[in-house]
Amino acid sequence: MNKIWLIIKREYLTRVRKKTFIITTLLFPLFYLLLIFGMGFIAEKSRQHLRVAVIDSSGYFTESRLQKENNADPHSTLFLVKDNNKSIMTDHEKEGYDAYVVIPRLDWRTGNPSLELKANKSYGSAPTGMVERKLNRVWDEIKNDSLEIDAAKQQILSQSRLGLTSRNIVDESANAKIAEGIGYACGFLIYFILLIYGAQVMMGVMEEKTNRIAEVIVSSVKPFQMMLGKILGIGMVALTQFFIWVAFIFVVYNIGMASGSGGGMTDAMVGNVQKVFESIDVPLILFCFAFYFLAGFFFYSSLYGAIGSAVNEDMREAQALSFPVTMIVIISIFLMTAAINNPTGKLAVWGSIIPFSSPIVMMARIPFGVPNTVPWWQLGLSMLLLIIGFLFTTWFAAKIYRTGILMYGKKPSWKEMIRWAFRK
Amino acid sequence: MSLLELRNLKKYFSSQKAVDDISLKVERGSIFGLLGPNGAGKTTLIRMITGIFYPDEGEIIFDGKTFDPTNDVASIGYMPEERGLYKKMKIGEQTLYLAQLKGLKRQEALQRIEKWFTRFDMSSWWNKKVEDLSKGMSQKLQFVTTIVHSPKLIILDEPFSGLDPVNTNLIRDEIFQLARQGATIIFSTHRMEQVEEICDHIVLVNKGKKILDGSVRQVKLDFKENLFSVGIEEMPASPGVSIPFDVVGKDDHTYVVRIREGKTPNDVLQHLLQQGIVIHSFNEILPSLNDIFIKLVEGTPVSRQFQNV
Repeated sequence: MNKIWLIIKREYLTRVRKKTFIITTLLFPLFYLLLIFGMGFIAEKSRQHLRVAVIDSSGYFTESRLQKENNADPHSTLFLVKDNNKSIMTDHEKEGYDAYVVIPRLDWRTGNPSLELKANKSYGSAPTGMVERKLNRVWDEIKNDSLEIDAAKQQILSQSRLGLTSRNIVDESANAKIAEGIGYACGFLIYFILLIYGAQVMMGVMEEKTNRIAEVIVSSVKPFQMMLGKILGIGMVALTQFFIWVAFIFVVYNIGMASGSGGGMTDAMVGNVQKVFESIDVPLILFCFAFYFLAGFFFYSSLYGAIGSAVNEDMREAQALSFPVTMIVIISIFLMTAAINNPTGKLAVWGSIIPFSSPIVMMARIPFGVPNTVPWWQLGLSMLLLIIGFLFTTWFAAKIYRTGILMYGKKPSWKEMIRWAFRK
Repeated sequence: MSLLELRNLKKYFSSQKAVDDISLKVERGSIFGLLGPNGAGKTTLIRMITGIFYPDEGEIIFDGKTFDPTNDVASIGYMPEERGLYKKMKIGEQTLYLAQLKGLKRQEALQRIEKWFTRFDMSSWWNKKVEDLSKGMSQKLQFVTTIVHSPKLIILDEPFSGLDPVNTNLIRDEIFQLARQGATIIFSTHRMEQVEEICDHIVLVNKGKKILDGSVRQVKLDFKENLFSVGIEEMPASPGVSIPFDVVGKDDHTYVVRIREGKTPNDVLQHLLQQGIVIHSFNEILPSLNDIFIKLVEGTPVSRQFQNV
């Protein structure tokens, strides 16, 4: 036990002290914020201003109607061009237009006329949609005028809508929208942790094997202790990083509250955050997150450790062997999406009980409410199976590890590795 | 009493009888040579002694008791042939870590490391990393990590490979010193001249079986071919007289002779003296371990063949 502790300490300290750990831990939240704000900024910046010639043969489109819409939405400008202007058809760019639309002779009462935005280059759905919406607003106005619908009637037509949201009548606190968000966040977080830190375990084991220190270490400790120490040490690194991020969010939140800058914005945010905390069972979610995070990590990282012990220096060998394991993690993410869309469906229930996918899928279901959406027996069975699962994978991996760590040469197949595991 | 005793040890792998019924005793305080060609089963044997492998059959008696890997590994220091250290870890921390894994307390480990580092002139290395060291330097460090916990049994697999003559002498002297202080050393190598120089007792393994066991002197006597070198001016041509030896070689004024069956060295001397020949020297030629090794192992394929067990 004392020796495992020494190994955990070494694995933990060598990683936490590394510059890359400090940099990634600090930069990840910044990078994340930058990504969110940056995307919005780039989307805003990259919007084009389109000059579109409207060649109208129907006679409905008038200069004043287009002008009104141009004033309302300055991202594009529509110009009215009477008749079939041949010079525009042949060379609209010379005339100063980016594109043109030909409006045929049509009747406002019939059909859905399909028009084309013709240009010398291809426009994507965003700019095309923008012009389409603008033309439709003009078209609505034409129809309204023809039907003699005034502003007051228009108001009634456009404003009066029926709304429908789901409400859990047994568990008043469950809120589907918030549950969805938390479910996604938890599921993806566990997904990233499994993949990133699973790979770290695999690389760590490979390093020991290729550095040829493995034989020195296993003459002092049992291979099982060596593997377990590594997994626990790296698990603690993951926890540390996670707590730093939680602390980071807490600090940012408090600074935001204290400075009170942005006034209403902050109040709205505070209100939202409070609403989130009121509508979910925070202690239960935190407990379950910690459980599924650790158990899922043990479950997968021992498999990754076994793979690391079986291969040699070659990264490609490691990738080839770890592909089936990584695939299972990725499939869990698809199951999670299905579970969030229908948290009580068969796929969601079984996905959250079977140990391979339960860390991700169950974490996505829990925010929808325990015990109404997720009955206690399902949660209990899922946890029990996951514990049995990780005890099994750790045992299985330790057997492979024991043989693999001292075996140099040819890359073994999964079949051979399974044979190692069941040899006495 | 012997420190280590192996009784009918067996370890079979799927395509190899790696160790096939080997028994041997290693005396306390001796330097024991474990010899054998590549793939003879030496490493497998050592891995069983260090608790890395469990034997399929047989018994290991360590220090009077049945070998218990969990506790006894603290009394063993093992330097494998394929050795290495964590490249990115600082040397001082690494040595401390390995010493603590062997069960030393932090304070005691620090004191001992300091002693050894001073002795080997390595004190300035503490905060360096292993990747900064040359091959010979990391070899020295590896030796220190092997013996820092004062093990009763030290197992060294090719300890001199990659060392220059100065460092070879340093490590060799240290090995003698440790043996004098009571440590038992198992020394595995292919370099026979080192074995003759260092070992008291040797065992030769081939194809998983023990084929030779004895003290270096005894083994040489067992394999002697009654060869003597005689330093004389001229070998007399004496036909008709019953000569007690055959000349098998000549180098300048030294003749190599083989004594015939039933004769003694005295007969040779008598014969030469009777001829009135001046004898400058007369020495028995014992076979070198190298010759014995080659003679015994000769005929086995260069590498072991795969077999079904």
